[in-house]
Amino acid sequence: MIEAQNLTRRYGDFTAVQDVSFSLAAGEIVGMLGPNGAGKTTTLRMITGFLPPTSGRVTVAGKDLLDAPHAARRQLGYLPEKVALYNEMRVEEYLAYRARLEGLGRAEAREGIENAIERCLLVDVRRQIIGTLSKGFQQRVGLATAILHQPSVLVLDEPTVGLDPKQIIAIRELIRELGRERTLLLSTHILPEVELLCNRVMIIDRGRIVAEGTPESLRETQVGNPAVRILLKDAPAGAGEALGAVPGVISARAGATDGAWIVEHQKGTDLREAIFHEAVERGWVLLEMIRERASLEDIFVRLTTHDAAAGAAGSGAETPAPLETPETPAGPAEEEAS
Amino acid sequence: MRAVWATYTRELRAYFFSPLAYVVLFFFLIVNGFIFVNLIGNLINPQVMARDPALSYFFHTSWILMLLLVPVLTMRLLSEELRSGSIEILMTAPISEAQVVAGKYLAALTFYAFLWLPTVVYALMIARHSEVDWGPVAAGYLGILGIGALFLAVGTFASAMTRSQLVAAIVAVALVFLFFLLGLFQEQIDNEGLKQALGYVDLFGHIDEFSRGIVDTRRLAYYGTGVLFFLFLATRALEDKKWR
Repeated sequence: MIEAQNLTRRYGDFTAVQDVSFSLAAGEIVGMLGPNGAGKTTTLRMITGFLPPTSGRVTVAGKDLLDAPHAARRQLGYLPEKVALYNEMRVEEYLAYRARLEGLGRAEAREGIENAIERCLLVDVRRQIIGTLSKGFQQRVGLATAILHQPSVLVLDEPTVGLDPKQIIAIRELIRELGRERTLLLSTHILPEVELLCNRVMIIDRGRIVAEGTPESLRETQVGNPAVRILLKDAPAGAGEALGAVPGVISARAGATDGAWIVEHQKGTDLREAIFHEAVERGWVLLEMIRERASLEDIFVRLTTHDAAAGAAGSGAETPAPLETPETPAGPAEEEAS
Repeated sequence: MRAVWATYTRELRAYFFSPLAYVVLFFFLIVNGFIFVNLIGNLINPQVMARDPALSYFFHTSWILMLLLVPVLTMRLLSEELRSGSIEILMTAPISEAQVVAGKYLAALTFYAFLWLPTVVYALMIARHSEVDWGPVAAGYLGILGIGALFLAVGTFASAMTRSQLVAAIVAVALVFLFFLLGLFQEQIDNEGLKQALGYVDLFGHIDEFSRGIVDTRRLAYYGTGVLFFLFLATRALEDKKWR
């Protein structure tokens, strides 16, 4: 549905986005992930036709954005990062105005407005003046604007930024709902959001795509060996050697507490069963077994952290503060009980 | 056309919903009221020879208000969109820059005409007590509308260039004053050709003609091309924002 080819955008001497290509199939929900200033908003603005690319092409639902800008924009709903509405208008009036701007017929407009108001849970505030609404509601009005003309593609730039936790949950719910029947491209720097919503992720850094794939495949390819963390009762002697001898295990290290072990194993294998059998055979009491998975956070940090040398070689003087990249994700790493 | 109409109606509403419009209307009518009282004073003074049409003095004086009025009306048009960022949602809708400019300009022009509407009462009041030659009155309003249209286009252009309403207003005042002064320079100039050229664009002279009932199509052509030129510049200024 979206086809971006070699998009490059320069602001003066500064290259915000460099040679970015990707495509979205119909029905996909793709997350664009990147630190602030990575070029996410610029990329999205080029896809929505707000900014023309310095070079490269974009087609939306088969319509070229430069050759047929209006036809392409009709296929597209856009929620910008900064949702700026006309504050003096009422919600309903604003949507009616947008419907006219989109060129919807009378019946079509009425249907679109009712649908958008209902989907975005704006029924109670439909007569309210936009300026008096809270940020969360304004965001919903922005979303309603984006889906008003029933576009086949939705582009959302940081849809949950600046909202309170309750509003975030509501907006995410809505996005997931909207993603059922549409192609959806959203940008965010909130990592769990991507895991929650998207079936594909693009990590963008310094104007380039540095990684792409499903959250699962990114984990597989980008992070070191998977591990299982176990806790054995009474810290049986010789457990280290025994665990190390299980086929597929690379190493077994003692954990922080007595009886705790971190068993690192080869990629693409699941050793939980083998470990369980090992424990049963030797008569250990297995208290805990947790598959330790690298979170997207680790991948993200790994890909977007540049050491001093890489920074100097890259785009010049500014080098981001080097962050520690732990060998095995220990403390804050996301854990998934199995 | 639909997109222009949508922009036009939205913008016109915005005028009537903003306090600014009423402040402008209020002071505009107060000043015009004074001018009218003055005019009546002149008309009933037997020592003043009434050579000109009754309302020509009114047109002569009160059109100068436009120099300040128009920039106030136009400063918000595009600057506010640029400042708040609502331009982003606007320009990702199927609408072109030219359509946005046209819709907003027409809304400003409509509101401008609305401002002058109450002053028709003055003519009606005079008509109750004396005879009014309606030709020159209509011509006077045509002149007011024409020059106003030109100034509004200048103001729209100024507003398209900046996200600050204040800067837009100042630039518009400066440009509009320049237009206004152009005609006055002709006194200081010796070059015959240049003098004549400046005579053509002497807005003071134009309004004088109009208020006497002389409708010269050359004047209207001047305003028309000026409007198109500045709206074209405004569109260009808006398009240019995309490349920065």
